[in-house]
Amino acid sequence: MAHFAKLGSNGKVIQVLTLNNGDMLNADGVEDESVGQQYLETHNNWPAQMWIQTSYNTSGNTHSSGDNSKSFRGNYAGIGYTWDEDDQIFWPKKPYASWVKHNESASWKSPIGDAPALTAEQTSQNEANTHRWGYEWNEANTTWDLTDAHA
Amino acid sequence: MQKKVLTEQALYVGDVDMPKDWDIDRDKLSGDILQSVIQNKDFPFSRTWDMLNTYMRDHVGLEYGVNLINKKTWGNIYKPGETTIPLLNIDPVDLRNSPDFTLLYGVKVKDCMVRIHFEDNRRKGRSWDIELKNNMFIMFPSTNMYYLTNNQKDSLNFVQTITYEYI
Repeated sequence: MAHFAKLGSNGKVIQVLTLNNGDMLNADGVEDESVGQQYLETHNNWPAQMWIQTSYNTSGNTHSSGDNSKSFRGNYAGIGYTWDEDDQIFWPKKPYASWVKHNESASWKSPIGDAPALTAEQTSQNEANTHRWGYEWNEANTTWDLTDAHA
Repeated sequence: MQKKVLTEQALYVGDVDMPKDWDIDRDKLSGDILQSVIQNKDFPFSRTWDMLNTYMRDHVGLEYGVNLINKKTWGNIYKPGETTIPLLNIDPVDLRNSPDFTLLYGVKVKDCMVRIHFEDNRRKGRSWDIELKNNMFIMFPSTNMYYLTNNQKDSLNFVQTITYEYI
């Protein structure tokens, strides 16, 4: 089963369809994206170049099999994702205005990087269920704020 | 202090922005409207109509999270100077089978005004006017009464209506 994302005029994914692998075979019997695109144009009234193949098993530029050489176009496309033709990545919605693209992981990162790791004490308190320490992004200050969900 | 929105009356307005060279064939639609009106038959299914319908369902779903299911569709022709009677696409005694939304699409229109009536709690009898242009859509709750006016004296106005239920 192959999956194709239907793009709107602004590159946003408006639908994701599945396609039988047999419907995208070229004359040599090899799966060919352009054949699938043509099939979808014929049957779904939407131009071929606006159907882009996507991988159900790819997320954050990793493949569910563990073999990341098989990862395809960054993420499995979802409705509302944006297709980046230059980088060949489906991007999810930007979570915060200040966040920036990180192509290697096909994900959005804060401008100051990932949240700091919890200390050993905080981790043990979480495990003991006396606290629930975690970092939340503070967009106003562009900082990671330490919070305790139990507080 | 908190605010909870219990209901809303949203109107969706815009142009049908199809990909380049894939514009809605409005000549085909106006021909189908003419045929269905003259022969008093159901509006025929066509590839063009399907493109319009799919565009609306996809984009309203994407932009506003409203998933639409088709109820009915028909086309109307309005004579120069004509104002319709107030139109209502629900059956007040059969709300279960009535549509949620009414979509008007400007197939071939000129000076076509749409007046949509609504109630703002105790402020009854309000209305909102908008001009329906070619390749433009207006979608609003089917519980709102509306009427159309062909304001010019030269040509017919062709308008496609599609009603939807949402899930």
